[in-house]
Amino acid sequence: MLRTERLSKRIDAFSLKDISLEVAQGEYYVLLGRSGAGKTQLLELICGLTPPDSGRIFLEGEEITRKRVQDRGIGLVFQDLALFPHYSVKDNIMYPLKIKKLSLTERVDRVQRAAAEMNITDLLLRNPNTLSGGEKQRVALARTLVTQPKILLLDEPMASVDASLKDDIRRMLRRLNRSGQTIIHVTHDFGEAISLASRVGVMHNGRIIQEGTPLEVFNHPVNRFVARYAGIKNFFRATFIKSYNSCSGITEKRTKFRLPGGSYPSAGLLIIGSTEVLLSRQGAAGVQINNIHGIIDDVVPSPTGFEITVNAGDFFYADITHREMEENRFITGEKVIVSFRSESLRVVGEGDERI
Amino acid sequence: MMKGHTLFNWVFTFLAALVLLFIIAPLAGMFLDSSFGEVRTTAADPAVRRSVWYTLAIAFSSTLIFAVGAVPLAWIMARRSFPFKKVVQGVIDLPVVLPHTAAGIALLGFISRDGALGGAAQKAGIMLVNNGAGIALAMAFVSLPFLINAARDGFAAVPERTEKAALTLGASQTRIFFTVSLPQAWRSVVSGFIMMFARGMSEFGAVVIIAYHPMIAPVLIYDRFNTYGISAARPASIIFILVALGFFVLFRVLATERRPIFWREDDAAN
Repeated sequence: MLRTERLSKRIDAFSLKDISLEVAQGEYYVLLGRSGAGKTQLLELICGLTPPDSGRIFLEGEEITRKRVQDRGIGLVFQDLALFPHYSVKDNIMYPLKIKKLSLTERVDRVQRAAAEMNITDLLLRNPNTLSGGEKQRVALARTLVTQPKILLLDEPMASVDASLKDDIRRMLRRLNRSGQTIIHVTHDFGEAISLASRVGVMHNGRIIQEGTPLEVFNHPVNRFVARYAGIKNFFRATFIKSYNSCSGITEKRTKFRLPGGSYPSAGLLIIGSTEVLLSRQGAAGVQINNIHGIIDDVVPSPTGFEITVNAGDFFYADITHREMEENRFITGEKVIVSFRSESLRVVGEGDERI
Repeated sequence: MMKGHTLFNWVFTFLAALVLLFIIAPLAGMFLDSSFGEVRTTAADPAVRRSVWYTLAIAFSSTLIFAVGAVPLAWIMARRSFPFKKVVQGVIDLPVVLPHTAAGIALLGFISRDGALGGAAQKAGIMLVNNGAGIALAMAFVSLPFLINAARDGFAAVPERTEKAALTLGASQTRIFFTVSLPQAWRSVVSGFIMMFARGMSEFGAVVIIAYHPMIAPVLIYDRFNTYGISAARPASIIFILVALGFFVLFRVLATERRPIFWREDDAAN
């Protein structure tokens, strides 16, 4: 469907480097990265608003690298939506249809269909400046969708939407994708990627540093940056020591991890998800269980329960549910034992990124 | 923000009032020194009427004609970057700092029979010196920066994203200019238009060198003053000030009134 080949572009001090990505027909591809990672610039390259310094872009097998923006058949919804403030909602949506010189009845019909699909029929005569963020988002989507783009590019579509309405927009985007619309969606929010993407590309400093399904990226982050993006807080730089049938990792603060058998580099980063860290006062039993003594440093409410920070020389972060909290009533300053299965530990590369 | 009887507020209010008084006092004095009868008689004078009409018509036509090039220039200054852009901006601002008589002399060399434009115009049978066309050129020369700079600020304030969005929606550059950029910048463009018109209308220095006749109002006032003295020039000045003020206010009201200026063919579809 869409393929870019070693796409590069230098913009002042920043540059996009060797971006090669492939998005299949009907796919929901999420480009994940911090602001300044080059996501928006990549979208502008794909749709032709800026020409690349080198590399090629193909859409449905045809090379479009030098094709005019107007002729590419790519729809782009900007982060700030860029609605025309001097036109009503109806005229905004009708704008691309007038260019196509469709008859008035055809135009009105298409606008009404798009408005119904986006649930904005009652807003058609309003001025965009009087709309809420979520409403504006729908209008911008409708305006782009009436052009029937081969591929839809969305730049941070949730950015201007109230938290309570994000679910609505998500549902709408999922529905749109299910109906066959290929989408590239740019975001800095991993949660958004998890809930929408069929595939994720993580961008950092102008490069795509990892690609895969959201689960793959979450479970096997290629480096500390991606892992942190995926919400993982427990990082430990360790030296690995092999013994007969197992391996240990020792951190600079002398925390010792028991690792499952396998091959390890001499040193690397160990990560473990916060939900896989268990807290107790007596520890857990088992050969492959790590039990580490520490003191509770902080207890912070989280959407699912509490996040507890334990100081064991190194800091451990554990997510516990409300029920677990009610049963155990952990308090700051209390001695606890941090337990986790050795299989829960993963070794990741550090990449170029140090945070 | 400026509440409270602080010394700061008193001093600033006093200084501001002094400046305002400086503007209002001479004008008020002129009105008080002239009788209604004098003004009425002068208003009935065909020469005065003709000069006021010439002034308005020539200033308006000059603004309208030069806007055709000034607005695209303003857009380029707002949207494009190119080598020596600051030099170009300096050239645009030049007429503001030139003594207007010097501007008139420069222009005269250009539009007289021996000048580049004047020679070409004469071959086409048009005399630019001592002619309405020459006056229009003189007015435009000194007043163009007002239109160009106001329109440039207007275009610069248009979110560039809306223009980019129009590109991705399939619009051509020309269509984007007329349907996205200009409608969003039109208030500034119209405001610049009014300023250029007002400035052109009141021009004396450059005009008097290009064309003493046909007499526009500022030249007529000067002529009356030179020939008959201040008491003869005063009623003509009052009439011109009132007319100019009337048009200025009218245009301002028209430009700031909120109503659809850009009608669309499918408004019926509402």
